[in-house]
Amino acid sequence: MRTDIHLPAADGAAALPRHGSRRAPSPSRLTGQLLGGLLLLVFVVFFVLPVLWLMLAATKTDAQLVGDNPLSFGSWHQLRVNWDALTGFQGNVILLWLRNSAVYAFLALAITLAVSIPAGYAMAMMEFRGRRALLVITLVVMLMPATTLVVPLFLELNEVHLIGSLWSVVLPFSFYPFGVYLTYIYFSTALPRDLLAAARIDGCTEFGAFRRVALPLAAPIIALVGFFSFVANWTNYFLPYVMLPQSGQYPVQVGIGLLLTDVPQFNPTAGAGTVLRPELALATLLGITPVLLVFLFAQRYLVSGLLAGATKE
Amino acid sequence: MALFSRAARAQRRPRASWTRAALAAGVAVVAVTVAACGNGGSSSAASSGGKDGFNEATQASGPLTVWVDSTRVPAAQAYEKAHPNVKLNVVTYDGDANGSNTLQTKVDLYDRTGNGWPDVVFSAESNEVSWTQPAGFTAPLNKGLIPSSVLSQFSAGSLAPCTVNGTVYCLRNDLAPAMLWYNAPLMKQWGYQVPTTWAQYQQIGEAVAKQHPGYIVGAAGDTFAPEIYMWASQCQANDVTGIRAVTVNVTTSNCSRMASMLDTLLADKSMSKLSAFSSAFDKQEKGKVLMMPAPVWFAGSVFDSSSGLNTPKDQIAAAPMPQWPGTTTPTTGNVGGGLWLLSAHSTHVSEAVNFIEWVTTNSAYQGDLAPGLPAYGPAASVWLANQQKAGYFANDIVPVVQQAAGQIWQGWGYGKFSQEAIWAATVTPGITAGKAIVSMLPAWQTAITNYATAAGYQVSH
Amino acid sequence: MSVTSSEPARARARRAPWRAVGAGYVFVAGYVILLAAFGVVPVVYAVYFAFTNADNYFAGLSNFVQSGQDFRYLPALEHIGIYLAIWLVALVVLVTVLALVLHQVSARRLGALVRFLYYIPGALAGAASVLVWLFMLDPTVSPASSLLHLLGYGTFGNVIAPGHLSLLFAIIAFWTGAGGWIVVMYGALNNIPRDVMEAARIDGAGAWRTARYIQVPMLRKWIVYMAILAFATGAQLFVEPQLVSEASLGVAGRDYSPNQLAYDFAFQNNNVNYAAAISVELLVVCLIVAAVFVTRSRFFDAN
Repeated sequence: MRTDIHLPAADGAAALPRHGSRRAPSPSRLTGQLLGGLLLLVFVVFFVLPVLWLMLAATKTDAQLVGDNPLSFGSWHQLRVNWDALTGFQGNVILLWLRNSAVYAFLALAITLAVSIPAGYAMAMMEFRGRRALLVITLVVMLMPATTLVVPLFLELNEVHLIGSLWSVVLPFSFYPFGVYLTYIYFSTALPRDLLAAARIDGCTEFGAFRRVALPLAAPIIALVGFFSFVANWTNYFLPYVMLPQSGQYPVQVGIGLLLTDVPQFNPTAGAGTVLRPELALATLLGITPVLLVFLFAQRYLVSGLLAGATKE
Repeated sequence: MALFSRAARAQRRPRASWTRAALAAGVAVVAVTVAACGNGGSSSAASSGGKDGFNEATQASGPLTVWVDSTRVPAAQAYEKAHPNVKLNVVTYDGDANGSNTLQTKVDLYDRTGNGWPDVVFSAESNEVSWTQPAGFTAPLNKGLIPSSVLSQFSAGSLAPCTVNGTVYCLRNDLAPAMLWYNAPLMKQWGYQVPTTWAQYQQIGEAVAKQHPGYIVGAAGDTFAPEIYMWASQCQANDVTGIRAVTVNVTTSNCSRMASMLDTLLADKSMSKLSAFSSAFDKQEKGKVLMMPAPVWFAGSVFDSSSGLNTPKDQIAAAPMPQWPGTTTPTTGNVGGGLWLLSAHSTHVSEAVNFIEWVTTNSAYQGDLAPGLPAYGPAASVWLANQQKAGYFANDIVPVVQQAAGQIWQGWGYGKFSQEAIWAATVTPGITAGKAIVSMLPAWQTAITNYATAAGYQVSH
Repeated sequence: MSVTSSEPARARARRAPWRAVGAGYVFVAGYVILLAAFGVVPVVYAVYFAFTNADNYFAGLSNFVQSGQDFRYLPALEHIGIYLAIWLVALVVLVTVLALVLHQVSARRLGALVRFLYYIPGALAGAASVLVWLFMLDPTVSPASSLLHLLGYGTFGNVIAPGHLSLLFAIIAFWTGAGGWIVVMYGALNNIPRDVMEAARIDGAGAWRTARYIQVPMLRKWIVYMAILAFATGAQLFVEPQLVSEASLGVAGRDYSPNQLAYDFAFQNNNVNYAAAISVELLVVCLIVAAVFVTRSRFFDAN
């Protein structure tokens, strides 16, 4: 965003600093920028240091993990050894788990988008009986702790004979009230009613207005809801853990929980030590990489403004 | 009463739909859904009577569903190799380790829906029967399914966690008696005699603190520390007297004598405050372990492990656990030991019995492949011979381990509440902060009482 | 941005609602089905559990009373109170500040990179981060060991001492959750029309004044949403104590929060009724707080 528009100050007061003018920035602005930069940097270290450690941990042996400098690099050879050991665990099951996670997350994502975007749009832009009730019910359901919802959910899904199929996981995942609320807020704050009114004047039906006016402008919110839904599904541990009876169906989160019980440091009395901590670190990295890739891909859309180029002056 | 409601729950079928509809007035969906709920599956309860001591479900053909943890997958594979005609459906789960409660969570859900139970389950949690028996999940094994000639060959007392009122509800996979591991060359070099009493052990600890600071004679920071020390001392912390009854009395001399010994050595720093599985322990105590009261599996998990202390061969030796004066029969503690359970709802009972018997008794798995000391006597001999043959130890550990396996004190039971978790939450933070264990005994007693009561136990003192 | 039209406004408004009503229902139909099946039914069922006993007889408030008498209940409430105080303030304030500061970064690639770096921990949820925190919190092997030693902690046990837990869990929760909210807030900041920002600049407002008088008020709905969810996720604290408990093998964080207690009731004691009672209590508290936020900020008003 360009900030170097050189305009005279409205009241001519020389005391107010001009932003980004060709003169050097004033000292107070410079310190402000430095402080801001320092703040951002401190938090970069806070957020990234553990992940950096994790990446380096995958290249070391267990002894190096404990004995060497935490941020030292192991070796590429050891990374290869850890990879072989990890994939050797129950015959490449880590790759199966990753595949399962992808299937569940993407299927649920598709359903979530198909369902949540229109719903959030309608709650933001249309008046209909029960609109407010729907908002309230959604909020109530969102705030209920999930612990006790598992038992009724299990019984429900058992009733329709879905226990054991991937739909027992995908369908509950598709219910994503957080996404509906995000869509609601997004449309209600960013999409002006005039645009829709204009579309209606032009003879559009509601569906037409949605398709021609709102959807093209909805790329950011689709990306946002899609992204968060994907991440929520990918990182969900408890629902698949309860619903899925076969270990070949586990997503990678439950799989990592399983790996954990084979690491002696986490399970001294029963772990046989067949999984070492660097392998666990590697498994964790594999488990988070898809999420990060999706983020990188979606970031462009996630933060662009809704009205970029949409308004006519 | 928890016992009664648990048995009732195993057979629970739909709640009256009119009650539900009344409560969920206006939510038609709920009434319809719930009214149709939970009425499936054949009913089988763990009541006595019936062939083999329980009511079998209608038997059917099909694969045998076996739940194992990752460490026991080789057991299932070995069975498949030895029995190519048997179809197994092997499900890997977390083995119910570390208080994850997976098995109970799933069995409760299956009880509500009336289907889905596995046929055979391995559990790393040795107190499984304390809830599976009242829930009607496990089938009795000594009422006709497994001959007493087999059951009698399990090490004395190893089936105690499986036994309720004389009925055996599971088979023990492995035993984990505690013994005194020590560094033989170092003891010889410094002229210490291997202690046979706790007094001698304490003396060595105090001597080490003065003459060789930095070396340790034990570790008290593990969550299973009470099972090594307090159990061996015959402390009445976990005297389970009935399916929902326990006597807890930890302020007695049996407990305080061990607590004060530990306190002395902790203060001297010859007993480590750390857990033997912590990174700090690996870093600080490498090569510094003179003695270590610990279970039999420490050899493989801590000493002879690249992710542990990585102690070279011909150093570690085993000796019987020291004893307090006046103990007529020597006793030691036990840390762990998995169980194999047979589901009372199984529709493949005879195949399941074959599996469970083979996997606990056959030397092809237990003797040659198992990571821990088998509970079945003959297989244990094979296992021990293999361990000794590997040539890691500085002495002959076979008689020591066999002796320890027979000395596990029977006064420490298997309740539904986890003693390890209670100690970890109550005592370990105090040890870390430098408090004396003796001073924490009353708090430990209160905590055990609280957790036991919350688990439905009648606690006496 | 005026729209010219030959029809009077009232006639326009009269025509629109008819179609809007029917269409509105169609638009929300898919969501309503999912909401009913996976939201309403389980919640109603859970409330049913809270007011009945194990044999399905009406139990009045006895589940609430008896679960409240459990020895872990009051300590859990105490813990969650302290935790919420730290967590709410930290999340709302820091996320807003960081989003605003980040928004000032004019180099687009740098901003995107920083947002990505802030987000990465959000991918590490639950079981995946147990290993990470086992090492981060152990001064003998942590990359942050100098900081931990500076604070006087020599061993893992010192770091997870009971008095430190609230702050520790808040730090872990912030580490995992802040990145996502920063992305949301940043996007919301981008939705503030450029002409408003330009006008502020022309008027000579500095970064602080722009933030305080222009940006934050325009972020009102987003901040309220974040505060509501922060309160709810804070009150329902579960993952962070659970993962510290796994990392420490039960030494810290075991029965720390009410939600963990509910979980223990449900899956350790097979007592869904007590678990449901605690869940209903948490729900009621969250609803009250949400109601306060919502009514005061007119959150539910359409645009």
